[in-house]
Amino acid sequence: MKRTLFLLSAVAFVVAMVATGCRKDPLNDMSDEESRIYITNHDSTANFSSYTTFSIVDSVVVLSNRNDSAKKELTDYDQKLIASVSAAMQQRGYTLVNKAAKPDLAINLTRIDNTFSAISWNPGWWGGYWDPGYWGFPGGGWYWPSYYTVYRVNERQVAIDLFDLKNAQNKQLKSVWNALWRGTGVWNSNNIDNMVKTSFDQSPYLKK
Amino acid sequence: MKKIRNWMLAIAALLIGGSASAQYRPPLSIDANWSISQPLGSLKDYADKTSLRGWGAGVQYMLNGQLAVGLRSGYQDFYERVPRAVYHDPTQGDVSAVQTRTLQVVPIQATVSYTFLKQDQPVLPYAMVGVGAAHFKYEKYWGEFVESDKSWQFLVSPEIGINIPFGKASPLMFNVNARYNYAPYKLGEITSFNTIQGNIGLKLHLN
Repeated sequence: MKRTLFLLSAVAFVVAMVATGCRKDPLNDMSDEESRIYITNHDSTANFSSYTTFSIVDSVVVLSNRNDSAKKELTDYDQKLIASVSAAMQQRGYTLVNKAAKPDLAINLTRIDNTFSAISWNPGWWGGYWDPGYWGFPGGGWYWPSYYTVYRVNERQVAIDLFDLKNAQNKQLKSVWNALWRGTGVWNSNNIDNMVKTSFDQSPYLKK
Repeated sequence: MKKIRNWMLAIAALLIGGSASAQYRPPLSIDANWSISQPLGSLKDYADKTSLRGWGAGVQYMLNGQLAVGLRSGYQDFYERVPRAVYHDPTQGDVSAVQTRTLQVVPIQATVSYTFLKQDQPVLPYAMVGVGAAHFKYEKYWGEFVESDKSWQFLVSPEIGINIPFGKASPLMFNVNARYNYAPYKLGEITSFNTIQGNIGLKLHLN
């Protein structure tokens, strides 16, 4: 009888061991909020308090690796994104002006749909889809300082790019701040305010 | 189900056979343990949760009543989820992420053990050392994006423990031990692998 109990406990023990021997899966209990990451880069030589005004694009460029050409869209998401980023900039002391009023800073917004395959890109590749002519620099170019690097992308992303129009030299518009959102739900408009807030919170230098 | 019953019968036969014929245990034994590990040092900084997800198994051969050599393997899974924080990376910029840090370790070690008392005692304290290698699978999730690495590293594990036979000449023993694991494993914030491991299990001498 005693031995039978020992044997039963041994069997129970082996079963328990197999059950606890499994790995805890990191993605199993991960919420959409936890899945997202927010990456910000900035030009450490830029004097952010030297800028006074900014302007923001009137639509959002949507890039897809399934199409060769980018298109501009203005969905509910895009309207909310434009409003939320504008509000965050105003909270930091910058004045929103029309792009005709020669703003100091330009803000480009880009949605990236790269769910089809994983391709590695050069820093700032998405910025090139906006025509510098939009910002009054026809024939100009974007300039990405060397500190910008970009994660390999294979999903939906959102990029916010801040360019210096005030100190444009030879029609080169230098990127002074960039935010890139990655993860589940970055294209969901309910998350916009939180994502904008987090991006600005981790960039305390970005203020008038 | 039938398989399990056959297996139990086979062990029961071994037990009865063993206790009826031999005063001393047969030299070959197998063991299985549940392992609980507490990370120390830089490993604790990486993932500070005590891991309950572990096990070990091995074989041993007694050269005489007190000295034994063996071979063993096992598994341990370390895990910690760190709430959202901003990490500064000189090349990537500032990254806000919930980090899920995992490390899975599979050791393969040769062992030498010395039992301090003769085999007819009710409690058998021993000291052991395991030397070998471990496979480390490192996965750090930034949100849902993983940064991973796999490598082998030297692993040494001194241990003290006791075996308690279920009856004087029983081939089945209860085992409990404490083990220290060290590997010169370096990756990211981990500068070396240090854990204190508690093991509890069974050891069976085979005819």
